[in-house]
Amino acid sequence: MRVLVVEDEDKMAEALRHGLETDHYSVSVAHTGEEAFYLVSTETYDLVILDWLLPGRDGIEVLTRLRQRGVSVPVLLVTARDATEDRVRGLDAGADDYLVKPFAFPELLARIRALLRRGVAETSDRLTVADLEMDVAAHKVKRAGKELALTAREFDLLEYLLRQPGRVVSREMLARDVWKENARYTPLDNVIDVHVARLRRKLDDHCEKKLLRTVRGVGFVLGEDAA
Amino acid sequence: MILRGVRARLTLWYVAPLAGVIALYLTVVSALAFWQMNRVLTHLAKEDLETVKGLLYFRADGRVDLHQEYHHHTEWRQAQERLLEVLGPDGRILYRNERLGARTIDGPPMPGEGDRVYSERSAQMSDGSAVLLVSSRYELQGAPVLIRVAYSEDLIWRRLRETLAILLLALPFALAAIAFIGYKMAARALDPVEQMARRAQQINSENLDERLPVENPDDELGHLAIEFNATLGRIGQSFEQLRRFTSDASHELRTPLAAIRSIGEVGLQQDASPEAYRDTIGSMLEEVNRLTGLVDNLLTLSRADAGHIALQPSVFPVMPLLREAASLLEVLIEDKSLRVELVEEEEVCALADRLYLRQAVVNVLHNAVKFTPVGGAISARVYREANWAVLAIRDSGPGIPPQHASRVFERFYRVDEARSGEKAAGLGLSIAQWAVRANKGEIGLISAAGDGCTFWIRLPAARCRAAA
Repeated sequence: MRVLVVEDEDKMAEALRHGLETDHYSVSVAHTGEEAFYLVSTETYDLVILDWLLPGRDGIEVLTRLRQRGVSVPVLLVTARDATEDRVRGLDAGADDYLVKPFAFPELLARIRALLRRGVAETSDRLTVADLEMDVAAHKVKRAGKELALTAREFDLLEYLLRQPGRVVSREMLARDVWKENARYTPLDNVIDVHVARLRRKLDDHCEKKLLRTVRGVGFVLGEDAA
Repeated sequence: MILRGVRARLTLWYVAPLAGVIALYLTVVSALAFWQMNRVLTHLAKEDLETVKGLLYFRADGRVDLHQEYHHHTEWRQAQERLLEVLGPDGRILYRNERLGARTIDGPPMPGEGDRVYSERSAQMSDGSAVLLVSSRYELQGAPVLIRVAYSEDLIWRRLRETLAILLLALPFALAAIAFIGYKMAARALDPVEQMARRAQQINSENLDERLPVENPDDELGHLAIEFNATLGRIGQSFEQLRRFTSDASHELRTPLAAIRSIGEVGLQQDASPEAYRDTIGSMLEEVNRLTGLVDNLLTLSRADAGHIALQPSVFPVMPLLREAASLLEVLIEDKSLRVELVEEEEVCALADRLYLRQAVVNVLHNAVKFTPVGGAISARVYREANWAVLAIRDSGPGIPPQHASRVFERFYRVDEARSGEKAAGLGLSIAQWAVRANKGEIGLISAAGDGCTFWIRLPAARCRAAA
């Protein structure tokens, strides 16, 4: 998958390149709007990560012109502007998604995955990681063949984690996708932490192999290689 | 300077009407004087006419003449101004005095002229000059004649002009004096204003606690000064709030920054295992998260201050909102083994932006959960009070001493930093306060140290929809 990162700040651009390459994307970087426009016009990309604030021609302008010329590559607009009007403006200009800086990297990865598989519905009813099995339709979870009693919220949380095995999930993602809250705030963070702790107790306490792990400062990950 | 302008204007404002009044006064006085002198002259003319009657005689040639010697006795010098004409019943002129010469006072006798004792009128002589004319019929030595005595109206006009001239000559001086006094008086009246302006000029952000002197609180300038001082007070207050907020904010921002720096520097000092490095980086990221949350909250508040947040009010029942908040925080409540009681005394609906209000309720409830000790109790009630929908949340925490009670909603304010042990910046209640106030509600607390505290939120009540 080829991704173009348009970002004028070197450190940020480098971090994104590095992070995306680690996740097996092939990454090009453009530092200005003109460069981005040239690259998108001459090469094919599967996705463009576009910073709004760029020297010279800004992200919105580049995006508008690209869309006018019929370029339909998915664009993820990244910006420090988080007012609702800004979001609307960005999406109106033709962005497919909008991410506010500073964002958690796992969140960026999740959005990219979502954009790239857009249209491909993922409706698997049976999810498994190691000896953990979930039957979404029947609302049942088994660990090592033994059924776990989970609350509705814990079930949703585990399902969300199971759908992205081995990937770090941030608190922002949980707040938005599991709790359906439009913003992250302190009480909610506490609530999420407590829920994760409880889920971990039910999931891992009686097992040798720990599956649910906290990545300090980033979020949580469910996977076999959890230490 | 503007004040001088005001002074000049004030002066003009009372000099101009005064000049008008004086002009009117002079006109009236002149008219009265004219009328009066006219009367006097008429009176004199009649007397003179009587005198003349006694002096007239027929000469041998049948003409009429006047005994001249009497002139020496006259007491009225203006008798010399006398114009005299004697006419026969057919209009033939029998006598003209020297002063009249070849002129005629008036034409032939008018019908009925002098029939009654005297007839008097203004007339125009043959040379066009205006005279005051008194005439009378008289039997002179058995022959009927018409005697006309006239005085030039110039006499009156001259007198009038002289008097007016004197008065008008004095007028500019009087007006100048009035203007001068007026200007001085205006200056004196406006002096406090100028003083206030000078004082106000010296007040800037550094000495906002200075005030204008209030000399007399009951007069207009006193009101102005009091209002100005009140405005200064309000500005000073918000300025102080802003100053404290800025300093608190930078302090709050600096704390995680300092932590990030120290953790990073210490982490680099020695070789460590990858796990240890992970831990270091994770620790730094935790601080970054804190910083991000802080900046988000500050941004929300500053947008709220600037009025940039558009609310979407709707009517909703309050109790479900409370239940939602409680269920969101349920795990925290369970963790501390708190007993939570939610009471709906009656169904109440509020008109507000539900989303922001939910945030406010969650924040207040979270605050209660945070400060209630393990095993404690929280009780929340929803009821109606006049036109308010009220939500009261009572905790069994340590309570808040009265001196802190009014400040708990201030940004970054913590009642007891050491005891709360919370890492979160004290913005939750500030945001709650903003959300409630923005929805035209009120928020407050009742508390006594050691006896828990009750936070209450009042919102404009609304009629619940039937389906709700």
